[in-house]
Order: sequence, then structure tokens, then C-alpha cells
Amino acid sequence: MQNVPAVETAPRLDSAEFGLAARLARAVGWTLIWLGMLTLGFVVHQVWVTTWLAERNQTDLDQQRVAYFDNAEINEVEYVPPVIDPETGQIVVGAGGAAVTLLSEAAPPLGQPFAVIRIPKIERLRNGWTVVEGVRLVDLRTGAGHMPNTPLPGQPGNAVISGHRTTYGAPFHEFDLIVPGDTIEVETALGTHVYTVRETLVVKPTDVWVTNPKPGAWLTLTTCNPKFSARERLVVVAELVDGPNASAITGQL
Amino acid sequence: MIRRVWSVLPGPLLLRVAEAAVLVAVGLVALHFFYSWLGTTFLDPGGTIG
Repeated sequence: MQNVPAVETAPRLDSAEFGLAARLARAVGWTLIWLGMLTLGFVVHQVWVTTWLAERNQTDLDQQRVAYFDNAEINEVEYVPPVIDPETGQIVVGAGGAAVTLLSEAAPPLGQPFAVIRIPKIERLRNGWTVVEGVRLVDLRTGAGHMPNTPLPGQPGNAVISGHRTTYGAPFHEFDLIVPGDTIEVETALGTHVYTVRETLVVKPTDVWVTNPKPGAWLTLTTCNPKFSARERLVVVAELVDGPNASAITGQL
Repeated sequence: MIRRVWSVLPGPLLLRVAEAAVLVAVGLVALHFFYSWLGTTFLDPGGTIG
């Protein structure tokens, strides 16, 4: 009978033989593995899960938006353009001469999908992205929201729309491609308002002056900058050039 | 850790499977809200100003 040498089995790393250091190493190892899995889960959640949620919402929101268009209340209002006081630099409302008639729609309630934004140059926005009223976290989970207390698109003043750059469908992901002269369309219950980009700028998240009212009809789009960071804001400023109210507003300036 | 949690689940096998499924679902929902908070706070708050 042949003698088979006994196989020596290595003691388990967490056995008493290795002591405290081994147990500590094992605990650190498992902690790192779990942290790695949590980090990987975070990336998957932010890039794919939130986008899946936003795109699924878009289908529902678009149906709600169509119903809203059908029932929207549209009125004619008298509008006297503001002027800028040359001495103070302040906007003086209702001092711009003869009144013109504009089409106006009532402000939608918070969370209501009320518009579609299209930017032919941006692939994700080529077929349109539904915009809701409000910029609360819950509103922006749909991708893009209109800042309350600023005019609706197509109205005089400075309409502000904010949108995600990285998550929740990232409708404004490719905003760094936008340059002056590009076209932006916003469809509301009144019709399609066409804007031309005048400038793009990078500001701090606290630079609220970009939302200030100004004479004429403007659209200000804001998103995070750079991509995958909340450090700054990329701002696209566009001027109304065509649409139901365009000639009435611009003709007075 | 997973084996330890499994071993302390009470009841017969089928019940333990159901309990584990509920625990996983609760964990995933909690993780979703945690990740959402983390993302909107540090990664992409939605581009709002102010």
C-alpha cells in the first residue's frame, strides 16, 4: 500500500490562530467590497435608473400635456412694453408707449406639464421634451421645469427653464454644443414660439441675476456645469424671434 | 452577513423566502431614496439657479 502524504489544510484567516489583525483585515476587506458595490449601485442608479424613470414619465406627461392644451384658457391682454430708465437702469413697467394686444394663457399649477421644448441641434431634444411647471426636486425628476414667477414661454419678459444635465433623462446633457444663432422652439397651448440663441455663459448657482426680467421676450435655460458636477450653471440665453406674440412684442421695441 | 440574516429569519423555508424578499425590497427602496438624495445634492440638482 502506497503512503499518501497528508494534505495540510491552511487555517482559516479568521481563526483564533491569526488573531486580531486577521479579523481586522477581513472586516476592512468586506467593508471595501460593500462600499464598492454601493458606489457601483449609485452610478447605475443615477445614469440608468433615473433616466428610465424620467423617460417612462415623459410618456405619461405628454398625454397630460395634450389634454392640457385642449382645455387651456387663452385670453387676449393689453400689453404696454416696459422701458429701462436711463438714469437708474431699472425697468419701468407700462411706460413703453402704445399698448399692443397679446395672446396669454393662465399660469399652470405646479407639476403640470404645459410645454414642449425642441432644439433641433440637440439629439435628445430633437423630438421634444415635455416641460412641467415648477423647479422643485419632484418637478425636475421629469427632466425639465419652468421657474414659477417668471413669464411663460412666448410672453414678454424672461422665461426661465431648468433641466438636468446628467440624471433623470439628462435633457440638457449636450448644452455645451449650443452656440449663438442656434434655434430653440417651445410649444405651449398658444402655439410654437421660436427663439434664437444670443449667448451662453457659465455662472455660479447663486447668480440669480440671470433670471431677472428684461425688456423684450427672452428664454433662459439653465443646467448644471460641468457634466457630472453641481459646481456651476451653464446658461443659454435666447430671444423670441417668431411665434404668436413675437411681432407684437418685438415690433414695440 | 447575508448568511447570518438568513439564519435568524423565523418560520419554515417558504416563509423565510418571503421574509427575505420583503427585506430585499425594503432595502432597495431605501437605497433608491438615498441615492436620489445623494445625486440631487452633489451630482445634478437639476440646474436651478438660486
